[in-house]
Amino acid sequence: MTGPSLSELDGRARRFLTVQREISRVFSPLSFACSWIVLRLVLGYRIENLAAARIAYRDAWLRTESPLLVCANHLTMIDSFLITWSLGSPSWFMRHFAAVPWNVPERANFAVTFWQRSLIYILKCIPVQRGGRRSEVAGVLARITDLLLRGETALIFPEAGRSRTGRVEMESAATGVGRVIRSVPDCRVLCVYLRGRRQRGFSRIPARNDRFDVAVAEIEPKTDHTGLRASRDLARQVTSKLADMEREVLGDRE
Amino acid sequence: MGSNEVFETVVKILTPYVKNQGALDQVASGTHILDDLKVNSARLVDVVLEFEDAFDIEIADEDVDSVETVGDAVKLIQSKTG
Repeated sequence: MTGPSLSELDGRARRFLTVQREISRVFSPLSFACSWIVLRLVLGYRIENLAAARIAYRDAWLRTESPLLVCANHLTMIDSFLITWSLGSPSWFMRHFAAVPWNVPERANFAVTFWQRSLIYILKCIPVQRGGRRSEVAGVLARITDLLLRGETALIFPEAGRSRTGRVEMESAATGVGRVIRSVPDCRVLCVYLRGRRQRGFSRIPARNDRFDVAVAEIEPKTDHTGLRASRDLARQVTSKLADMEREVLGDRE
Repeated sequence: MGSNEVFETVVKILTPYVKNQGALDQVASGTHILDDLKVNSARLVDVVLEFEDAFDIEIADEDVDSVETVGDAVKLIQSKTG
């Protein structure tokens, strides 16, 4: 496999991320409480196999110090909140703050106003323009890579956007996730498939009072390709695993 | 290979991915691949892999970051083919 495909961050960018992390930590009791109130009480969501998913994530997180990247399917605009909720309790996350995944929300949806930008700042987010210029996307991926190398974790949607068909779209597999994996030695990938039982296609938010199934599986993608083909191959391995998990989740429902 | 020949091959490879056929009719070195031709950014990778096959070169991820226009692609390919 070829070496890193993302440039190293400069000192200023690294300090900026460190400051953001610490501010996020200070606000974490409030942000965890608000997230839980909105998801559980206001929207009435419930995750069916919550304990199993949290145990799987905790085991993956604590087992080795190898960097852990979370990759998930993407159907609604609040998937990252639901996935974070499914992976750990607020008390566990406060004791293991590095395990709270960094997110890369779509700028046009979450970072338009000052208040939106402030909110996502304290939620460990780095906004990105999906489908934007590769140089800008590469800058965001370089930040994610740097954070993984520093022992943080991050959540990426390999489809680079909400699935328009409601199913994992292999054709949409962006190479970004592959670039990150190539740039982080011994990177493990935790694939997370989450879906509401009333979710048909893609939507802004899931239906109220929906119940979610979540599946978690760890893989270590490898490739013999080089260059761009290596990134694409790695991204496809991750997306393919998510498609397998989707078949299992939907199969269990029938 | 001359730059005109590279340019023509690049446009030929891009053609199936172009959503704005009007811009393709007036394609020039300064034509922006994503903004003008409306090529899907996820498909840009497939385009570049076709460049690799057509010109027998290898293009790194970071090289693609600097490709915004058709002219950028031509320059990149020429730099690889020597």
